[in-house]
Amino acid sequence: MSIRRLGAFVLVLFVALSTSCLTHLSRAKQSYAEGQDAARAFKTERAVASWKKALDEAVRECRRRPSAQSFTIKGLAEANLGRWREAEGSFLTAFSLGFDEGESWASDSALAGLAASFENLDLEAPALRIYAQLVDKSDFKPALMLAAEKRTNLILARAAGLDADEKDRTLAALSKALDRLLDRDFACGLYHYLHAQVDGHLGDIRRAYEEAVMARELGLPSEKIGRDNDNELVYCYIRLIDSLPPPERDALTAAQARWAAKWGWRDDRTPAWKKE
Amino acid sequence: MAKKDIEAALARGVELLDKFLPLKSWLFFPVLYAACVWAVRRVFDYRERILAWQVWLDPDFVRTKPDEFILDFFAGDERLRREYADEMARGDLRVLRAAFPALYSVMGLEDAFLKALFKAELDAADYRAIVVEFAARTARARDAIGPAAADPAFWGILERIGREAASLGVHLLKDDEVQDMIVALIKGPAGLGPSIPPEA
Repeated sequence: MSIRRLGAFVLVLFVALSTSCLTHLSRAKQSYAEGQDAARAFKTERAVASWKKALDEAVRECRRRPSAQSFTIKGLAEANLGRWREAEGSFLTAFSLGFDEGESWASDSALAGLAASFENLDLEAPALRIYAQLVDKSDFKPALMLAAEKRTNLILARAAGLDADEKDRTLAALSKALDRLLDRDFACGLYHYLHAQVDGHLGDIRRAYEEAVMARELGLPSEKIGRDNDNELVYCYIRLIDSLPPPERDALTAAQARWAAKWGWRDDRTPAWKKE
Repeated sequence: MAKKDIEAALARGVELLDKFLPLKSWLFFPVLYAACVWAVRRVFDYRERILAWQVWLDPDFVRTKPDEFILDFFAGDERLRREYADEMARGDLRVLRAAFPALYSVMGLEDAFLKALFKAELDAADYRAIVVEFAARTARARDAIGPAAADPAFWGILERIGREAASLGVHLLKDDEVQDMIVALIKGPAGLGPSIPPEA
């Protein structure tokens, strides 16, 4: 009888512990997904809160039952929180537990962390080299998006001090690099936003407008970038209207009116978030 | 959920926090807003998150805008067009570019916290003061929370406000609505007389 009771107790304990372990992993996954949703909706603080929660749950799961999956979720949450060094460690462990891509994700996380450190120390040249390498070779999207954004901003800042010819060459090369990124992932709103920025510098207002529209449709990683994209879009739209012959101008005005209605803008040049 | 109940809870929060953040009413914005966000999410490192609040930092892209975009920004805003008429007339991009990061963040991107932080200047149409004060005041806002944060009672009160707001359904409101509510409770920073150098 006592052996039966002991067996039942062990079984209950096993089920309870298994459920508890599964709960941490599923909670981590759920919180991570919530973070991604919040980030897409420009709720940056809520996104960070969800990733932080995902990290806490993943850490518990890693302690109780280490697996490639739990360390991968941990690494993803860390990467989204900008904790690149910790992410590197998590992905390496995930790799050792059977996650094949863990090794390259770890390497990309290490590079992203190193570049960010260089940039914090105002060492822009080595930071730029690392970002360029990530843009060319990385398949790990959080590191790739960070590198694309940072590299574009650093090059645009540098271009301001160049003579006209050199500036045009530099910006044309940057535009081609962004084209290559779009070839790889056309659905990434951030790449379209970055392209619009570069097109604006190159004076290609039509392309800048089209890229800004696509960026808005596909979504951007933060509210401030989203608002800046809206401002860029309106700026290009107004300049295009002034420069186009009447038939094309009418077509553009009609198209912009449709977009504005879809986005809930007050009119064709006033985003909903504008209060003044 | 009654919006008025949440408003009243946040107003009580301002009253309670007043003894911890005297004469620094702009700090109520990030603190109360963070309390609302984090209480709903029930995050463990509530304190760390509130202290790490950096909503006012200007993103890199603000500093890399082309001259035409900057000129259009000043020309497109009636208030700035009036204030910077001389610089625009003589094409003084040096001054306009220097003023752009502060004014674009506050007025172009309409960051709710920055608008609260510079409410007095915006009300007084003193846009050059925003440019002069921008770096120092945003840094002060970041640092000034330190002494209050050292007091455990501050966190107790903040947690209570967050919980009350959460129980009243603050998460059902849009972010903008919560931000506007808090900004409306802020009376404007006191004792912030800026000195304006001629080049601002």
